[in-house]
Amino acid sequence: MANPKTNFAPAIQVFKPHRASLPPLIPYLKEFWRRRAFAIELSRFADKAEYLDSKLGKVWLVMNPLLLAFVYFLLVTVIRGGSTEKSGLSTLAHILIGLFTFYFASNSINGGALSITAGGRLILNQAFPRALLPLSSSISAFWQFLPTLPVYILVVVIGKLFFPHTQIPGLRLSYLWAPFIILCVGITGYGMGLLFATMNVYFRDTNKLLSYITRIWLYSSPVLWRPEILHGWHKIFLYINPLGPSLASTSDVWIEGRTPSLGMLVGSIVWAFLAVLIGGYFFISRERDFAVRI
Amino acid sequence: MPEELAIRIEDLSIKYKINIDTKKTLKNAVMRASKGEKVRTRIVEAVKHLTLDVPHGSVLGIVGANGAGKSTLMRAIAGILPPTEGQITVNGKISTLLALGVGFNPALSGRDNIILGGLASGMSRAEIEEKTEEIADFAALPDGFIDMPVRTYSSGMYGRVAFSVAVNMTPDILLLDEALSAGDASFKEKSFNRMRELCAEARTIVIVSHALQTVNDLCDSAIWMHKGNMLAKGKPEAIVDQYLKFLDVGTLPSNLEDM
Ligand SMILES: Nc1ncnc2c1ncn2[C@@H]1O[C@H](COP(=O)(O)OP(=O)(O)O)[C@@H](O)[C@H]1O
Ligand SMILES: [Mg+2]
Repeated sequence: MANPKTNFAPAIQVFKPHRASLPPLIPYLKEFWRRRAFAIELSRFADKAEYLDSKLGKVWLVMNPLLLAFVYFLLVTVIRGGSTEKSGLSTLAHILIGLFTFYFASNSINGGALSITAGGRLILNQAFPRALLPLSSSISAFWQFLPTLPVYILVVVIGKLFFPHTQIPGLRLSYLWAPFIILCVGITGYGMGLLFATMNVYFRDTNKLLSYITRIWLYSSPVLWRPEILHGWHKIFLYINPLGPSLASTSDVWIEGRTPSLGMLVGSIVWAFLAVLIGGYFFISRERDFAVRI
Repeated sequence: MPEELAIRIEDLSIKYKINIDTKKTLKNAVMRASKGEKVRTRIVEAVKHLTLDVPHGSVLGIVGANGAGKSTLMRAIAGILPPTEGQITVNGKISTLLALGVGFNPALSGRDNIILGGLASGMSRAEIEEKTEEIADFAALPDGFIDMPVRTYSSGMYGRVAFSVAVNMTPDILLLDEALSAGDASFKEKSFNRMRELCAEARTIVIVSHALQTVNDLCDSAIWMHKGNMLAKGKPEAIVDQYLKFLDVGTLPSNLEDM
């Protein structure tokens, strides 16, 4: 019966009442994977629509975290009572790369949280795995994050010209860890986006709450402070923070120029898994309810 | 499910739970919890114990007043709304064009929206790219509008694009909710022809329409829904007749009143 040319969803589908439990996962994930192009294009088109008339808007995406990083840098330096020429640049670099990475995660969480309630018409008119919408937000967050890396590199290169004695490494093998850590951050962000997207369907002020959470989260993450200042059992604060291990690893790779410790790498992976498992469970077990509640 | 059926609906009920007094916020939830109050909700039964078979290659029309549950039924067939009770079995690839229209992005061009709409309904990128031109041709918008932002479209043009996407996806089952009013006379004729083509290819169509003549012209059978119940099922002429009488008189025929 089905058109042989198309490879559409399983021919026979049965829709039944459900409790708050997971639908059959294998077909769900298959369908999710089959339709990944939709999430990718949705983020591309959302981006296109947003910056259709303003090329300047795109520049702002990079400028915003950059300026913020300078403000935090000034604050940190003032609080510390000035800095030596040698440590100044590395403090700035640490804040820069930490903030860019943190923003990648938080943009993906915030975008994901709104993606369901904002996608009302799409959700009421098409049947597809809803987890694609937060994924599309995460992909957008990634495309916003990517151009901040050359900005970071530019700042460091220029800085090294002026302060040749800085500790910031040049090209190192440790940089090869960066893609892996970015992947962990991305997955963690997506998982938490799923969690908050579900919450936002039931409580429409979740995204307001989220803005407070994000701020507290930033201050308790090793972005404005170095992970090295924690010793002994205080290190626990790095591990209980979903972004702690991956941000500490970021600092290791970019600022110290060394391979992150095994503990931090394992921590990054564990949090990425936990975030997708928990967020995915809440989201997927409730997503059939979304159309009724939107 | 028997081979020849495209859609089988068994004892389907769908209920909406509506929050009456407060907005759904965390703040309100905490306030209520601290006062020990419960949320006041009302249950709306949009579809009540409906059983229906739709064979492959047939065209089913659904008529009924506003709030009868027609759109709810269509969403359930599409797999968008889960049943509260009962079960729906669907055999084949579904394409929908429901009352609200697709989630078109008004800032993007018609062409971009065609691609997005195709992907949303499950086509692969290669499939939709191959079809974009065909769909754009079918919509036949006046000079160059297809590459203009959708926000500059008239509602007729908007409807044409949405309709073109839905019918050109070669669906096995096509669900149209009040979508046929799109466009002028010539486009209407074109869309009728396209739908007859789909029928000839043994595809199944379910139409919700207030244009009763359309139901008469296109459908093999029809049902009349009223307040969630299926009041009658049969030949379209007979159903449309009954429905028109009801509209005239304003009361249900006495043999149906107790439903
Ligand atoms: N999203 C919703 N939330 C709560 N109630 C709804 C929702 N959609 C529809 N209803 C209710 O369900 C009933 C049937 O609506 P609908 O299926 O849209 O009817 P029709 O398409 O026949 O006009 C109506 O009483 C309507 O108020
Ligand atoms: Mg309707």
